[in-house]
Amino acid sequence: MKSKAHRHEASFRDPSGFIFEDGGTVKRAINPIYFPVYQALCDNDFFAPLFKAKMLIPHVEEEQTPERIVLKPDQLDLMTYPYEWSFDQFKQAALLTLKLQNYALERGFSLKDASAYNVTFYKGRAIFIDTLSFDFYQKDQPWRAYKQFVMHFLSPLVLAHYHGAEVLKMMQNHIDGIPVSLVASLLPKRTKLSPTLYTNIHLLAKLEAKHNDEYKPKSRKMHLSKKALSNMIRSLYDYIDGLELKQQTEWGDYYNKTNYQPEAFSFKKQQIDHWISQRALKKVLDVGGNDGTFVRALSEDLDLAVVADIDHNAVALNYAQVKANKEHNILPLWFDVAQPSPGIGWVNQERSPILNRLSKWGPEVVLALAVIHHMTLSGNVPFEDSARFFAGLSPLLIIEFPKRKDSWVDSLLQRKREFINHFDHYHQEDFESAFAQYFETLEQVEIPGSKRILYLMKTRS
Amino acid sequence: MGYFSMMFLYFDPGLGAMLVQAIVAAAAGIILFSKNLMYKVKSFFGLTKPQEDGIDAMEFEQDEKQPNEEQSS
Repeated sequence: MKSKAHRHEASFRDPSGFIFEDGGTVKRAINPIYFPVYQALCDNDFFAPLFKAKMLIPHVEEEQTPERIVLKPDQLDLMTYPYEWSFDQFKQAALLTLKLQNYALERGFSLKDASAYNVTFYKGRAIFIDTLSFDFYQKDQPWRAYKQFVMHFLSPLVLAHYHGAEVLKMMQNHIDGIPVSLVASLLPKRTKLSPTLYTNIHLLAKLEAKHNDEYKPKSRKMHLSKKALSNMIRSLYDYIDGLELKQQTEWGDYYNKTNYQPEAFSFKKQQIDHWISQRALKKVLDVGGNDGTFVRALSEDLDLAVVADIDHNAVALNYAQVKANKEHNILPLWFDVAQPSPGIGWVNQERSPILNRLSKWGPEVVLALAVIHHMTLSGNVPFEDSARFFAGLSPLLIIEFPKRKDSWVDSLLQRKREFINHFDHYHQEDFESAFAQYFETLEQVEIPGSKRILYLMKTRS
Repeated sequence: MGYFSMMFLYFDPGLGAMLVQAIVAAAAGIILFSKNLMYKVKSFFGLTKPQEDGIDAMEFEQDEKQPNEEQSS
């Protein structure tokens, strides 16, 4: 099996098949053990409506031999993981999974797993990417993937509802989802009064603890009618659909809260738009892109703009706009430049680091607007290191440098108190000479009505 | 070749998690029943909003065709 040599690092858990790369194209091989299910799915025209409704990543069958079937799915630009999603993105992924389970049940199938990694964001919406997750429904059997659904979706969402969106980052530590006993202990006591949370979390945790050591699952006959199973799925759907983050109500005019002068703001927009359309750039990574205001202001018809921000509210607001306007080419990403998501899981490669995924996707230009002072003064990252970081991402960089006299810079410097002298290097000259090691400056302009400079830079070859 | 149900136990579904589903489903049944009842009462008095995106909804976007139409014209 020569293709096994190229098997994707994340694709080893399910014996039904595996993902591999064939000359840069991601494909899915199906092993003979899964042929009967795949055939039944095809015979029942299971996939086509899901493709049409954009719930499942579309594929074409490329090869069929007695040894394997090869599917070629639509190619994703950039795979994002659960700990890089805003609360609402996470919620949409959960609802999509339940919708698919409901759809499958009605057709005599069932999801055999309910991992959050089966979902990603593609063309502005949550999409299911694991085509081999469907199995035959077994009459009157409970849902095997139920616990996985609770650990991967219900638990993080409920915890975030009570404790804030930061909790979603716990997924980075728990590749198999958040342990139910932990969730049960973290939830407020009053959640025991909620029939949904009592049964799905507290009672589940209790029964799991009780039966943890039993190794004779066959001795217990478990029986759950299809109607009961369907009720369970529907009720979970309604509950998750109604979950909200408390902080989301505080949005309002998010951008107005950040202190931009209107003239400086529109100058910046026009200048960046000019540079991007002049070069017809199609793939943009906006680091510290807030709610996506800048990429939305670009006149160039972009293939994809990945808008990364450290602030959950900004990412959430960005996704709300993507959803409301049905935008296909903006991907919101919850991203901390000083602490990008690492590689996790088996040999640290099962879920790859975000920087690897970003550079593989290959943005044609990186926008770094009003971030360098945060990197340098809040993150204490030397200019040289930030220059190397940006040079590793893309051949072009549009960077905004707030001078020492900028009010934001001043406020950041004042916070250093007696250590303020350690940041004397924060000057235009130091910035330019450090970045000159990696970049040549093609153009630079002062932003009128501000103490900031915009640079267009190109990596040195 | 015969196909065996859930061919490999490739992850542990959890015995407690399999057992609890009978209770979860019973609670869900009651919640859904009371919700439906409330919905019927409300709609009798004309207080309901149309539900847009339930679990059965499948949204088929129309805008996919536009680029092709532009190309052909």
